[in-house]
Amino acid sequence: MDQEMPLKIAERLLQSYLNSFTYPAEGRLDVVIPAEKLVDTVARLIEARWGYLGSITGLDIASPAGAEDEANDQTAGHFECLYIFFSGAAVLVLRVPLAYDAAVVPSICGLIPAATLYERELMEMFGIEVEGTPVKDRLVLADDWPKGVYPLRKSFSGIADADQR
Amino acid sequence: MEIKKVDEGKFVVPIGPQHPALKEPGHFEFTVDGEIVMDAKVRLGFVHRGIEKMAEQRTYTRDLYLMERVCGICSHVHGTAFTLGVEKLAGVTAPPRAQAIRVIIAELERIHSHLLWLGVAAHEGGFDTLFMYSWRDRETVMDLLELLSGNRVHYSANVLGGVKFDINPVQTDQIRRGVDYLEERTQFYQKVVTTDNTFLGRTRGVGYMSREQAELQGAVGPTARASGVTRDVRVDAPYSFYPQTPVQIVLDDGGDLTARFIVRIKELFEAYRLVRLLLDNLPEGELATRMPRRIPAGEVISRVEAPRGELMYFIRSNGTDMPERVKIRTPSLCNWGTITSTAVGLKLADMPMLLAGIDPCFSCNDRMIRVRRAGEPGVMTWDQIKAGKGGWSV
Repeated sequence: MDQEMPLKIAERLLQSYLNSFTYPAEGRLDVVIPAEKLVDTVARLIEARWGYLGSITGLDIASPAGAEDEANDQTAGHFECLYIFFSGAAVLVLRVPLAYDAAVVPSICGLIPAATLYERELMEMFGIEVEGTPVKDRLVLADDWPKGVYPLRKSFSGIADADQR
Repeated sequence: MEIKKVDEGKFVVPIGPQHPALKEPGHFEFTVDGEIVMDAKVRLGFVHRGIEKMAEQRTYTRDLYLMERVCGICSHVHGTAFTLGVEKLAGVTAPPRAQAIRVIIAELERIHSHLLWLGVAAHEGGFDTLFMYSWRDRETVMDLLELLSGNRVHYSANVLGGVKFDINPVQTDQIRRGVDYLEERTQFYQKVVTTDNTFLGRTRGVGYMSREQAELQGAVGPTARASGVTRDVRVDAPYSFYPQTPVQIVLDDGGDLTARFIVRIKELFEAYRLVRLLLDNLPEGELATRMPRRIPAGEVISRVEAPRGELMYFIRSNGTDMPERVKIRTPSLCNWGTITSTAVGLKLADMPMLLAGIDPCFSCNDRMIRVRRAGEPGVMTWDQIKAGKGGWSV
């Protein structure tokens, strides 16, 4: 299957107002975007009927131990939300970096209703706030799971510690 | 989901969490006006096992066994997605014979999964004879998988860098005979689901989903293909040995339950063809190649076509022997959205069949369960969880 064409189209669609394009693997394009441009970017993809949303994945990139000497924005711990789109064999990843103390992304459910499950997972597993998402109920964790405990954060080590907080 | 005020004359009928349709837990609330469903809600998570978190604390080798246990029906395809991803990160390619064996097992697994589904769906519709016939015939493929691997469900064919077992000429003959028998039986099932009037009465026009709806809801696999959406990872982005053995995509424009039956049954025929083709053209050579223990830092998105549709693994490595993050996006998760939208306007009695129609796999989208017994503390340490104590089942 041709992977180059969809990626060229995606690049042309987005290049007017984004600039950090990387090709980390064959047939895959990564774009780093700020949270405030997310909805607009997704809208452009939808408008052009570019592929479909494959998944939204949260990442907790903890600052590596011993990295204090060159502490800057690159090495500081932060979240990343990955919006993964597929079109045939081509993969487009919108990477939204978020600081720990400002972990808020806008909801894309208005454009892609199916995103609700992924957004609930982001809220539940990482504690990332998704603004404007239609449903904020628990998705997979137990009803009596303690509030404010996010299991997929790197700092999570078990719910026993959490209860003592 | 906010609880809506129920108007006079409407009732909320809870179904589940025990055995809502399949023998797996899920909870549904259907708001009905008389017989007609007005609203549908889903609550998942009853078998959430925390596998993504566990994966971060195990080596890649141990993770492979963990991933095979995400699902008890499509264990091989989970292992394959994970293995292919890790191999890509390590820059290793499994030998051709190993790739071909992976695909043979994957197609045998698809046969077993589709026959299992046929039985369950027939049972939900009240056709228990068809259910028992199809499950009897499914034993043929289960026996073949056991013959190859020693196991009926967790065949565990993959290792990082290749496969564990070979297929010898005696086994090849047995597989051919089994596939011949199943093909003959599948022709009978095709006839039943397309011509039997009572059966069609339960499926024709029920749960209709247009192509646009399927695309909007992000449906995948046979559920999407039964609405005419051309989406199949084996065709769109061939992996493993699929580039050498191209798959013919099975599509139907019907969009209803009948179409979902037809697509899956036609996929059985395609699976028989692929298994035969691969057995005829099994490349000679090694079964596995060396894998490094530590995987270089990187990121990979690995996509495969599970029996229920597109399965995606996102793996981020950090240079150690354990992954930094593993994200699993299973096909059932994508197909849930289609239930809540197609249910509205149907009769309550159609719900079990509609649920079975997407072939949902609860274990796949939940991945953790917690059972609290009387007198036991509700809090567990990570060590207890690792030791498997305190009612957590992995």
